[in-house]
Amino acid sequence: MFFTLLKKELFIEFRSKEVTLSMFVFGLSIILAFVFTSNVSPVIVANYAPGMFWIMVLFVTVLGVHRNFSYEKEFDAFSMLISAPIDRGLIFLSKWISGFIFLSIMELLIFIPFFKFLIIDFPTQPIMALGTTLLANLAIMAVANLVSGLAMRARLSEVLLPVLLFPLLSPVIIAATKISAGIMAADPIELWKIWLLIVTSVIVIFALVGYTLFDFIIEE
Amino acid sequence: MKPFFQNKSNRIWLLVVACLMVFNIWNVISNTPMVQDQHWAQKIFYVHVPSAWVGFLSYFVAMIAGIMFFVKEDNQWDDVGLAAAEIGTIFTALVLTTGPIWATPIWGQPWIWEPRLTTTLILFLIYIGYFMMRSFGGHEERVKRYAAALGIIAFADVPIIFVSVKFWSPEIQSHPQVEMAQQPIGILIPFLLSLGIFSLLYFLMLKLRIHVIRTNNKKVTDV
Repeated sequence: MFFTLLKKELFIEFRSKEVTLSMFVFGLSIILAFVFTSNVSPVIVANYAPGMFWIMVLFVTVLGVHRNFSYEKEFDAFSMLISAPIDRGLIFLSKWISGFIFLSIMELLIFIPFFKFLIIDFPTQPIMALGTTLLANLAIMAVANLVSGLAMRARLSEVLLPVLLFPLLSPVIIAATKISAGIMAADPIELWKIWLLIVTSVIVIFALVGYTLFDFIIEE
Repeated sequence: MKPFFQNKSNRIWLLVVACLMVFNIWNVISNTPMVQDQHWAQKIFYVHVPSAWVGFLSYFVAMIAGIMFFVKEDNQWDDVGLAAAEIGTIFTALVLTTGPIWATPIWGQPWIWEPRLTTTLILFLIYIGYFMMRSFGGHEERVKRYAAALGIIAFADVPIIFVSVKFWSPEIQSHPQVEMAQQPIGILIPFLLSLGIFSLLYFLMLKLRIHVIRTNNKKVTDV
């Protein structure tokens, strides 16, 4: 059933490309804003680049998860989905994994513009950068989808989502920035492995909490 | 419902807590030793640390109430959760106020990204979101479920927030009064006393607030 739900999410997105495309364009706009507001030495920009990247991801995530849930509200599709005889935790898991896929695709698309527009060097350990970024994406989407599930059917959901999400995501953003900074500086893994542990903890805790709570949260 | 203080035991409880609070203030001002280099600024720790303890205890109660709300499907647990969240936020605000009051003369500036203060600030912001959800969320029954879930999520996030903030800026030391167990007996005893009195105050406030919420709910139902 999980794969059926995931397939549904992916089919809808690959037909309309709404989520990925809007995330990508929004991400580009944020990079542009960074370029205009950080007219300083390339060394300073390079130091701030990991933070800038994850701030961009944070904003883009809000847009993505909001859209990922809000299209279910059209024609009351979500009510029909939760009236189906399926484990509702699986709805959370499918939203989480599909959100993770959309965010990762967006990052792949935006990776080159980010480095080229900000005129900074690519990381010297690309595989490590890719792996850790995917791990951070999993953590971000676990929290974001759970909070979006909460905020989606509330009034003023577009306001509540970032207000609730940003403080809850602060450990992941700190950890992701530290990992990226470590990789950009080609530091040995021993110096930043604690952050991998923090990201992994967020994934485990929020996957379990999300899977358990989603059933109660989305009840009619 | 009868007014809260019509109940004799509640009146006695209020009187005891009020007397103990006055005693606590007198005790802290008159009987605790001055700490070298900190002087009067150190006294705020007899309020700051118990406030932090009560704030986190209250958020823990909000989490338990959230779990019980889902398990028992009983609205009474929502009242407990709301009351605990409100009181927790008051005490958290007190922590965020007394911290900078202490820090200004000691650190030379009101705010440093010290792990405990930062964790408290993040938790405070999560609970501001919680009250926004309660106020603007719309459908009442759904909002109760969302609030219960948020109480659980917020508390589950606390250890991760604390660890991440601690490693984020390891050069910033925790404030020196944290290790209270290692303090001399002249500081330790008044501190533990203050902690106990604040806890008593907390349980009185929780009981009163639950009563007020239920009275309000009943009025709305009657109308």
